[in-house]
Amino acid sequence: MDKKTVSTIAYLSRLALNEENGEKITQDLENIIKFVDQLENANTQNIEPLASPLEKTAKTRYDEVTAKNRKETFLERSPKSNDDYFLVPRVVE
Amino acid sequence: MSIQFKTINELSHMLKNKDISNKELIEETFSLIDTNTHLNAFVTLNKDASLHRAAELDKNPSSLALAGIPMAQKDLFCTKDLRTTCGSNMLSSFIPPYSATVIENLENAGCISVGKTNMDEFAMGSSNETSFYGNVQNPWGDKLVPGGSSGGSAAVVAAGIVPAASGTDTGGSIRQPASLCGISGLKPTYGRISRWGMIAFASSLDQAGPMARTAEDCAMLLNEMCSHDHKDTTSLDETTPDFTKDLNLPIKGLKIGLVKEFDLSKLDNEVVKVFEESKKHYESLGAKFIDISLPNISLSVPTYYVVAPAECSSNLSRFDGVKFGKRCDDPKDLEELYIKTRSEGFGDEVKRRILIGSYVLSAGFYDAYYKKAQQVRRLIKNDFDSAFKQVDVIMSPTTRGGAFEEGSKGDDPIQMYLEDLFTIPANLAGLPALSIPNGMVDNKPIGLQLIGNFLEESKLLQVAHNFQISTDWHKKTPNRDTQS
Amino acid sequence: MSWVTVIGLEIHVQLSTKSKLFSGGSTGFGAEPNTHVDLIDLGLPGVLPVANREAFYKAIRFGLATNAEINQTSTFDRKNYFYPDLPKGYQITQMALPIVGKGKIKIAVDGKEKIINITRAHLEEDAGKSIHDLFDGETGVDLNRAGTPLLEIVSEPEISDAKEAVAYFKAIRQIVTFLDICDGNMAQGSMRCDVNVSLKKSDDDKLGTRAEIKNINSFKFIEKAINYEIERQARILESGESVVQETRLYDSIKNETRSMRSKEEANDYRYFPCPDLLPVVISDDELNEIKNNLPELPDEKEKRFIEESNLDISEAKIIASSKTMANMFEEACKKTDDSKLVANWLVGDISALLNKDNIDLEESNLTSNNFAVLIERISDNTISGKIAKSVLEEVWESGGGVDEIIENKGLVQIQDESLLEEIALKIIENNPSQVDAYKSGKDKLFGFFVGQVMKETQGKANPQSVNEILRKLLS
Repeated sequence: MDKKTVSTIAYLSRLALNEENGEKITQDLENIIKFVDQLENANTQNIEPLASPLEKTAKTRYDEVTAKNRKETFLERSPKSNDDYFLVPRVVE
Repeated sequence: MSIQFKTINELSHMLKNKDISNKELIEETFSLIDTNTHLNAFVTLNKDASLHRAAELDKNPSSLALAGIPMAQKDLFCTKDLRTTCGSNMLSSFIPPYSATVIENLENAGCISVGKTNMDEFAMGSSNETSFYGNVQNPWGDKLVPGGSSGGSAAVVAAGIVPAASGTDTGGSIRQPASLCGISGLKPTYGRISRWGMIAFASSLDQAGPMARTAEDCAMLLNEMCSHDHKDTTSLDETTPDFTKDLNLPIKGLKIGLVKEFDLSKLDNEVVKVFEESKKHYESLGAKFIDISLPNISLSVPTYYVVAPAECSSNLSRFDGVKFGKRCDDPKDLEELYIKTRSEGFGDEVKRRILIGSYVLSAGFYDAYYKKAQQVRRLIKNDFDSAFKQVDVIMSPTTRGGAFEEGSKGDDPIQMYLEDLFTIPANLAGLPALSIPNGMVDNKPIGLQLIGNFLEESKLLQVAHNFQISTDWHKKTPNRDTQS
Repeated sequence: MSWVTVIGLEIHVQLSTKSKLFSGGSTGFGAEPNTHVDLIDLGLPGVLPVANREAFYKAIRFGLATNAEINQTSTFDRKNYFYPDLPKGYQITQMALPIVGKGKIKIAVDGKEKIINITRAHLEEDAGKSIHDLFDGETGVDLNRAGTPLLEIVSEPEISDAKEAVAYFKAIRQIVTFLDICDGNMAQGSMRCDVNVSLKKSDDDKLGTRAEIKNINSFKFIEKAINYEIERQARILESGESVVQETRLYDSIKNETRSMRSKEEANDYRYFPCPDLLPVVISDDELNEIKNNLPELPDEKEKRFIEESNLDISEAKIIASSKTMANMFEEACKKTDDSKLVANWLVGDISALLNKDNIDLEESNLTSNNFAVLIERISDNTISGKIAKSVLEEVWESGGGVDEIIENKGLVQIQDESLLEEIALKIIENNPSQVDAYKSGKDKLFGFFVGQVMKETQGKANPQSVNEILRKLLS
């Protein structure tokens, strides 16, 4: 697994690879991918992928408002907020 | 009268006969907890609320099925106003504003949640060595792992501190620790128990389940845990049967499948001996053994290690330091907020799985890995469907051996992954499976796995119960019977 | 060098359901921040989505109105990326199997009609809002909007210029408002548009590299953004360089598009089927019910107005083109048999006011109710047409009920013939020279007398009665 792939994947996952863990993690990833490469051997021609073990379709809900205003409850659990908003470092678009 | 190692049934009788009050029962439970802190099995205790609940029950006795029964809840279930960490630094101060459906079901049936049990971080692990809150000790021996990810739950039941605990099973996380700790644990059919409030690891594989001293207790717990929940659209619409009803039906003529591809010759002699003994015992009860083939079963572990990481890499994206959970100090910009928070908040195993997950879903690799794995998953399910046309249940050892030492799996994650060889297939196919103690190897308990067809938990429990009323492996306890 | 412009539009339409796509949170606009957030919208650990069936019904209406394939079984996928207003770190959308497949829509530019093909329309959840400029060095996140159902309508790259793009957008807006699936309120962000623009040489089969301009929510800006972008890309290509495939934002103040600061890698969304949501199946019965109850579309309304209400083509077109106006027309017609009267007001005075203020009828202070009352008061002669104009202006400026205004300003038309006669006689008495002049042939002076009576009655005299009375008295 080349360095660029690993760093791309790490960025997509928003995880830092540094001096300490970078090499070990890259090695682990390579080993795990090699391990799962066994799947190549299976004959899956015309086999429908199984997304869920349930052979059924979804129940849906009626269009009605059931949620109460829980602003205080939510904001007090957040790492950083003011009276009205969750706060993050300023985003520049 | 000591409450240690008692079953739910036994404690219920004690309470009904007023041999012990609810308050005394809970006080003694907390006493046991205090004298067993070396197990490191609990992350958060719920003492005041438990004593309060017990006092209420003493004043107004209840006839609910689990009235007054102390229970430990895996720290993966959201419990309203009680800290829920999922074994992670990321949620070290997380107080959920709501409770999981399964917790509500159990508490509505009268049980008292005495605390949240330690577990592998975000349910990723097979030894409870990845928890931010430290390793859990197996009550059967120092420095032995209890198994994982429901290590804490297994340990507290095995140590006789509580008669019951909730667990979750994605690739074996109820059955494997049940095996290594010498207790009974069941993973129901996917969809039996609502996942609302269960912190998600791999959504198409996760299921909650009971862990207790006997199959009978598991059945009682299962009765209360199962429900159709409109808040979880993957929850089954089937009426919950009374899982205790058929326990005592005899199993004469039962057809038990043995999976050719599991090749037990590769296992330790002692482990094989224990398995063969169990086989003989079942034959003496009238069961017949039939060799069956699950041709794609050897691909179970690689399939699992594509599907589960893929789903978890997405499920764990919500932990970003914005709305709840941990946030890093003084992030200078948004990128740093995400990267630093997640790198500090997650342990190594979690990071590995997120990275694998992102990889197998990424453009260019999706077809070769994720799509392929989902196709193999269907092949595995089809194999089971065919097999259950020939047999009633499938039997195998739960694990390759007894509890191993902390740190003994070394640096290679794959060694740990292979621990779940026998348990993973049932998760992939969504089938019910359980583990019951069936012997000792090197003074450590090991377990027998039974896998059933879709919705056939009653049959599994019946088969397990028949074994337990004619043997006493499940009665062995760490303090008294470590020499077998 | 002549370049051919190729444009495709992705329009996000906020469906007018009461609750969100996957939770019971309210979709109401303008609430205090973070007060319409359900556990599920927040993405708390352990929560699970449950699909809102009404959103499917609304999407299907769109499919039927555009002659599109309806996929009665559709599935949901996850689109994974990190952004503060995306609570779960992924958006639930429909990638593989959307609810609506290929369809068509007719547009008209400068009288010429063209069919634009629609590739697909799928359901997905909206994100919350990030407020960048309110807080010192920080961005605030409001999750009220998170989870609101969107219908993303994707056109084939068949649009050739800015005018067509605007016509297409307007046509979509018309359909979704008539179908009652979206309120069409651009200012509130009920409809937003991403525009893909690329250039190619006329003899080239292959499409050029495209740039995507995100999140435009006004007709004017769509036109400007596209025109800017065409010029920008032409300049690049003329100088021999290549256009970079990227996402851009339109800056309406500087009238330019600029590149969004995002890394290339961030574009791998790693779509996969959402394991929490099973396929949703719409039955044949449900589909038929929706078909049979499909709201009338503009073309049908136009025809009906011409046939039943005797409007001419241009009147019918104008009134039928806006759902609000069509409703207003129909409500007012209940108060009078004179549909032409109603049409005249809408096509005349009201349209003029809309143009003057450059707003849509929904944004005005005139309600359907009020307009109906106005028409009623004209029809029953409570006020004259002229007075009605001033009442209308009052309502337009400051709202208020028609009857209230008539009463407060004492505008009730004077119908009392004897009173009017009294006043007319007084005027005639006081203006002898004008009477003489009139009687000796200066017919135009008739207007003077009418004017004086009107002045005396502050304009409230019934004009017909005044005319009749004066003619009698001056003869």
